[in-house]
Amino acid sequence: MQVQHSPVQVMGIDAGGTMTDTFFVRKDGRFVVGKAQSNPEDESLAIFNSSEDALAHWGRNVDQVYPELLTCVYSGTAMLNRVVQRRGMDVGLICNKGFEQVHSMGRAIQSYLGYALEDRIHLNTHRYDEPLVPLSRTRGVTERTDVQGTVVIPLREHEVRQATRELVDAGAKAIVICLLQSHKNGTNEKRTRDICRYELSKMGVDIPVFASVDYYPSRKESHRMNTTILEAYAAEPSRKTLQKVSDRFKKHGSKFDLRVMATHGGTISWKARELSRTIVSGPIGGVIGSKLLGEVLGYENIACSDIGGTSFDMALITKGNFSIISDPDMARLVLSLPLVAMDSVGAGAGSFVRIDPYSGGIKLGPDSAGYRVGTCWPESGLDTVSVSDCHVVLGYLNPENFLGGAIKLNVERARQHIKAQIADPLGLSIEDAAAGVIELLDLQLRDYLRANISAKGYSAADFVCFSYGGAGPVHTYGYTEGAGFKDVIVPAWAAGFSAFGCACADFEYRYDKSVDIAVPQHGSDVDKVAACRTIQTAWEELAAKVVEEFEINGFKRNEVILQPGFRMQYMGQLNDLEITSPITMAATAKDWDRMVEAYEETYARVYASSARSPELGFSVTGAIMRGLVPVQKPTLPEDPEEGPTPPKDAFLGTRKFYRHKKWVDAKLWKMEALRPGNEITGPAIIESDATTFVVPEGFATYVDKHRLFHLKEVKQRPTHLREVK
Amino acid sequence: MSTYTKQQVKNLTEGKLDWDTTTRMLSMPKDNERFSIYLEVLQAKVPWKDKIVLPLGPHLYIVQSAKTKQWLTKCDCGHEFGDYRENWKLNAAIYVRDNPETMRDVYPTLMAPDTDWQVYREYYCPECGVMLDVEAPTPWYPVIHDFEPDIEAFYTEWVNLPVPERAD
Repeated sequence: MQVQHSPVQVMGIDAGGTMTDTFFVRKDGRFVVGKAQSNPEDESLAIFNSSEDALAHWGRNVDQVYPELLTCVYSGTAMLNRVVQRRGMDVGLICNKGFEQVHSMGRAIQSYLGYALEDRIHLNTHRYDEPLVPLSRTRGVTERTDVQGTVVIPLREHEVRQATRELVDAGAKAIVICLLQSHKNGTNEKRTRDICRYELSKMGVDIPVFASVDYYPSRKESHRMNTTILEAYAAEPSRKTLQKVSDRFKKHGSKFDLRVMATHGGTISWKARELSRTIVSGPIGGVIGSKLLGEVLGYENIACSDIGGTSFDMALITKGNFSIISDPDMARLVLSLPLVAMDSVGAGAGSFVRIDPYSGGIKLGPDSAGYRVGTCWPESGLDTVSVSDCHVVLGYLNPENFLGGAIKLNVERARQHIKAQIADPLGLSIEDAAAGVIELLDLQLRDYLRANISAKGYSAADFVCFSYGGAGPVHTYGYTEGAGFKDVIVPAWAAGFSAFGCACADFEYRYDKSVDIAVPQHGSDVDKVAACRTIQTAWEELAAKVVEEFEINGFKRNEVILQPGFRMQYMGQLNDLEITSPITMAATAKDWDRMVEAYEETYARVYASSARSPELGFSVTGAIMRGLVPVQKPTLPEDPEEGPTPPKDAFLGTRKFYRHKKWVDAKLWKMEALRPGNEITGPAIIESDATTFVVPEGFATYVDKHRLFHLKEVKQRPTHLREVK
Repeated sequence: MSTYTKQQVKNLTEGKLDWDTTTRMLSMPKDNERFSIYLEVLQAKVPWKDKIVLPLGPHLYIVQSAKTKQWLTKCDCGHEFGDYRENWKLNAAIYVRDNPETMRDVYPTLMAPDTDWQVYREYYCPECGVMLDVEAPTPWYPVIHDFEPDIEAFYTEWVNLPVPERAD
């Protein structure tokens, strides 16, 4: 391949459980995707191999490209797996005396988090996972701070000293401290931390101490305790992994500072203090990528949809913003982290298909074949039909070119399994049974997508739907048909979209703190000023933390753009909204009024202006400080349009494709060879190594100058009148 | 529908089945062949030759006598409690906890039921001494006949198996 001269600027990494994807973007917007088998023992090696695989497309190698890179973002599942598999550090926990069991009890909700509805209401499937910290390494100390933050029982300091010694003896490699109401008044907790550190130094033991007040000063004790424990349990080991990755980059001449995708939608340095917020990042990348794409294309409202093998994830971007939830659950743990709000349903391309013996209906999931694809892959060892089997049987997928031909699928094997398990019991032909499964999945996803938009008070007609993920484009037509979206877009790099999105994220730190402020509708100026003082104090405290993080990476205070925010609700209502503050400093009654105004405006947009209830008064529940420094982001490719007729070399032949009770010849196209401006009318299948884009009869798509496919429903015309392309 | 191996069902009866498989069993519709595999596993554990018709508890079964083809209630040690339609408890050894002293073996003081209102009756096998059942009725209540299984309907309508032969 010819050597290109445009420098490579951006790298995105998506280190999954099975595959490690890398995504490189050149200055001219061209990109390549690389794949390599993941290596849990040494992630840096898998990243290196994946990079070599990607850069080979350009005839280049790591030693040439790493020094050119301006920025690199990592996202991965290693930390999540460490938690799920309970392979973290041996942590010791100091909590309030009498509350030692609280961590194991997980608010009871942890016994069924992540379950499908059927199992949630089915008590005997509920189960408590092994706690991150066992009771044998938990010690209670006497103290009490009440809900108002008043110390009502002083700290019994000798108990802290004893607890510290006992935890070290019990094998603790780190000590986490989380006391009741410490987000209101951290005095006792900080004192506990200092005594603990002093005692450790006296013992000559060098282990880290984590106090919740230094990390996540937010209400909800279980959430705060879990999150602080996670910091010690999983994030510290991950930091070592990231250091190794960073070191390998440096060895090959890199000059950038490795950043990691974080739950709040920004990226943070691997040296960041709060690293546990990088626990989930993959699906978030897609939302960030959609936001950037929307900004470039001028779309304010976007429905992001991502189908993988096991789940369907969706998120809404409204007025150019995604929403953040502050107490999500992950890995069956309640946590106190800001997380980009996403809704997931456990139905994906790999979901298992079964007949319910009682109702006789088709049932999808909740479990799935995952990377084992389905019975169509003989080596999978599976004998339960999956959605992918139906795709293979109906001609949606190319059995010879699955994952670029990495594995060969056996259509006949899938047919036999569908016949025995689905078609015969239902008295249907194999094709109709398989088509029924696909229709059912599409219907479920469409309803889910639509319900999620209308439940939030929006209309699909105001939204552009982005569809990505390895299996997304196979289903795009199915779950958007008749939904009435303004436009439906499939990026040519759908399979690497999450990695792309991660590379789009800002270098951004975000800190949150719970506050309790309540001011009635016509509150006095004195009340308003007092409220502003509380908020301003919190902002200053958070800003100091944000700036400190940037300083670790060599930025100065004046280079950091600080953006304060807050969470507000009508007094007595249950849900708060996150508001980007219209003011940078809160001091006067007028400042308070402006915050209220911003809140009411958002409230009217999210719900309805008639639902506003200012007569209840206003509460501020949290202060937020975001700080960012601009970074190089990928630019979109931009090519001249070349007219509607695709080039000859893009045509790959035809394949039998079954839909609506008949077999048709679908035209096959090579995705990479299609040119901007090209139009393709269904039935057609556009194939690429990592994804398949299905355009059935009644649909048409064209490629725009950014290599985005726009999918449209078209009026059916009798076949003999249709022009032949 | 999932299918399970005989080893998995054996582990289930012994409480050794891994949690992932256990949850799958719990949340999925029951596999057709489970009952027959379950019977096979149980049959392999008991020292006698009578065919198990229906398990009644961890140590108790309704069996088809190998000699007479009569259906009997039987302990896994081999002790027989008589015809399966009769309440086997009437032929078991019984221990009643009906005062605070005996209740204290079970619960700490003040945490046990008031024995004027509730007593525990424990039923044991007269031969091997294994506990077969406990009931917790009001003191005057007659011995509870837990249930009379409709074995014919269970075999023909639920698990689709031929009903074992029975001599009355």
